[in-house]
Amino acid sequence: MRVGADLLSAARATGSRSVIFVGTGKNVGKTVAMRSVYEAACERDIACGLASIGRDGEAADVAGAHAKPRLFLRPGTVVATARDVLPRSPASEVIAFSNLPTAAGALIYARVVHPAFYELVGPPTASGMREAIDALKSFAELVLVDGAVDRVAALAGGDDAVVVSCGAAAAGTMQEAVDDVRALARRLSVQAVDPERPLVHVPGAFTASAASAAIARGERRQIVVRDPTQIALSGKAFLSASERLDLRCERPLRVAGVTVASIGRDRGFEPRAFARAVAAATSLPVYDVYASERTVA
Amino acid sequence: MDASSAAALDVPWLLAALEPAGPYGQIAFDDLRPFVRGEEDAARARARRVAELAASLDAGTLDAVRETLRGMPDAAPAIARASMGDTLGDANLLELQRFCDAAARTATLLAGADVPEATNDAVRETARALEPGRSGKFGFYLADDFDARLAAARTATSRAQAEFDAASGRSRQRVAQALGREEISGGEFVVMRADLSGSLPPGVRVAREAATYVMCELELDEATLAAMRRRDEAAEAVAEAEEAARAALSGEIRARASALERAARALGEIDVLVAAARFAKRYGCSAADIENDAMLSFTQGRHLPLAAELEREGRAFTPVDVALHDVAALTGPNMGGKSVCLRTCGFIALCAAFGLPVPAEGARVSLFDEIAWLGIGSDASPDGELGGLLSSFAREVVRLRDVLERAPARTLALVDEFARTTTPREGKALVVSLVAELQRRGAVGLVATHLGGVAAEAGVRHFAVRGLRDVPARRPRESMHETLAALADTMDYTVVEVGPGDEPPGDAIALAALLGLDESLIARARESLKGA
Repeated sequence: MRVGADLLSAARATGSRSVIFVGTGKNVGKTVAMRSVYEAACERDIACGLASIGRDGEAADVAGAHAKPRLFLRPGTVVATARDVLPRSPASEVIAFSNLPTAAGALIYARVVHPAFYELVGPPTASGMREAIDALKSFAELVLVDGAVDRVAALAGGDDAVVVSCGAAAAGTMQEAVDDVRALARRLSVQAVDPERPLVHVPGAFTASAASAAIARGERRQIVVRDPTQIALSGKAFLSASERLDLRCERPLRVAGVTVASIGRDRGFEPRAFARAVAAATSLPVYDVYASERTVA
Repeated sequence: MDASSAAALDVPWLLAALEPAGPYGQIAFDDLRPFVRGEEDAARARARRVAELAASLDAGTLDAVRETLRGMPDAAPAIARASMGDTLGDANLLELQRFCDAAARTATLLAGADVPEATNDAVRETARALEPGRSGKFGFYLADDFDARLAAARTATSRAQAEFDAASGRSRQRVAQALGREEISGGEFVVMRADLSGSLPPGVRVAREAATYVMCELELDEATLAAMRRRDEAAEAVAEAEEAARAALSGEIRARASALERAARALGEIDVLVAAARFAKRYGCSAADIENDAMLSFTQGRHLPLAAELEREGRAFTPVDVALHDVAALTGPNMGGKSVCLRTCGFIALCAAFGLPVPAEGARVSLFDEIAWLGIGSDASPDGELGGLLSSFAREVVRLRDVLERAPARTLALVDEFARTTTPREGKALVVSLVAELQRRGAVGLVATHLGGVAAEAGVRHFAVRGLRDVPARRPRESMHETLAALADTMDYTVVEVGPGDEPPGDAIALAALLGLDESLIARARESLKGA
């Protein structure tokens, strides 16, 4: 089983040229999943553009001082990263500037000339991220974006494929981890509106109070948001609302699969049981990059 | 000019119209100051230079220069760092390369034009020094050509990296085969005990264990570790060679820093000049004669912000002629353009002060110490600490007091219906007195008023807007835009000098009717006027 290649195929099958990896929490394997897809793309000679929402690829987790997966990039890869973290050596080809600010200077675009470890620091705003993704598409065939914790706002307005990552590091129990990823995956997989049936449009975000009001009045029509990122409900609140309301969107996202990281720093779940539970909860193909396994419900 | 006058005279509009495109232009623009008395020759020369630039270059060339300057990065921090002895990074070197490219392109576009030199020897030499780094259409790469050591070091690193990749790949493949997997991806991997027949293969270290799985890490063998050490040593040699190449380039920049900064300043001046030329070309402006004696005189003058607004509505601005050597009164009907006439005076004087061609066919203008707007529009915001406690009349008076206290030697005073909110009798007395005071101070000014007899009592010249040729009838269901257009067609906005006692006919009631005021109310007003 070549998980990276399989996940790459699943993402490419959505027809999108960009893949965003979002997660249920920190250290749930987003970067590892992205790296496996990246390596599979390199093997197929697909020119990749890489970006990050937030900061990725640094040697240690800034928040917890733990070791982080690093990004060893191959020649031809284009990165969108902060000017101050671009490695001085080996030299990269600097190809474009931007006015997008990041925590470590303005975002610039550079092409990897010699294989090396890179750190990705991205713009803090969703609109900035979209601008960076669009720019990367002009330099690369496939754009991979390492998302931040549950930062789905960057998905708004795009046509990206989405990979959802979950793991033991972000939950106290396996059930909690499964519930979290079920809610996130279902939220991102909200179906397109059916124009033939009664509907009510929600301008802007669909909040918890709006959901409560709709449930209280026994709303039977489709409740339509622009895209799933406009649903401002997470976890159990979303699951509860989605069972009682017919939530729809104008621009559905393309969720390609879920990755699991069953072993966290403080706890571990039985890998196959966890993968099966996630597959059953999300009805999506589940990839365990560490165990090199794919599970389908 | 104070903030209130600046707002009334549409200074923000003028600044937006003159905004330069690039980072150096912005610095030069921020440093721009109006010419002051004694600098008439310089103001005249600059306006002529801008006008000639506008005449000699087509709009496409001006736009191309702006586009070039807009896309130019700010290389000033890189030049400053190099001059302090820092070794520049590759992003800095790309900025400098683009700076040199933009300077060269600007020089080509403006060849033969009367502008500062966009490029100099330092720019050309820097461009030559950076040329080996040109990569693709827009990029920069510290190429092997910069330093002979680079190629050798990089070749060695590539070889060492390939050896390391091969060695670690073999280890990875060996472990994968032993575990019956297609691949081992990443540094950590999970092995299910159920899939394991016997013990873990060599080259695998156990990181964690549980009842059903083992979390493992690849352990590099001696051969792979040795390959990694060789790779790391080679990479260090590359880093040293790259820093040496960057240091050499940075040294060249340092040696040329002051000349590069001069080029940046020149590009800033060019940016400002080109923006001014584009403004002059777009709005058909001409260089004014800058006079030593206090005066403001122009023919076919236009107030550009209003002209632009009218143009958007498909209407045309009626240019005005004004000739002022001292203070004069201006009368005319409502909506006849008195305020616009005052604003046109201020706008033209403002353009001349900044060494710009003015929006008029011909103009003779002096440089004023202050352009002061008093009256309507100057009292809009409550004043300072007293805030809303002051009435509109009180705010007008306080502003007038402040202007007179500043007592500049040469003022252009534009007074729009001063004292309109008090009793006509006292208001007129104040206006007459103000005119006399301005005259006494040697100001040039135009005092617009509806109060009759000001010019005669103050003994000054009297200008008047000709006013309505005829009052158009309001048609049923006519929109306000249509009404205003019909009114504009009938209004003669021409300003002419009249005798001191020639008061214009009142059009206020006719205009009120045209604007849709209740007919019975209008009829009663007409009756009342007859009886007065």
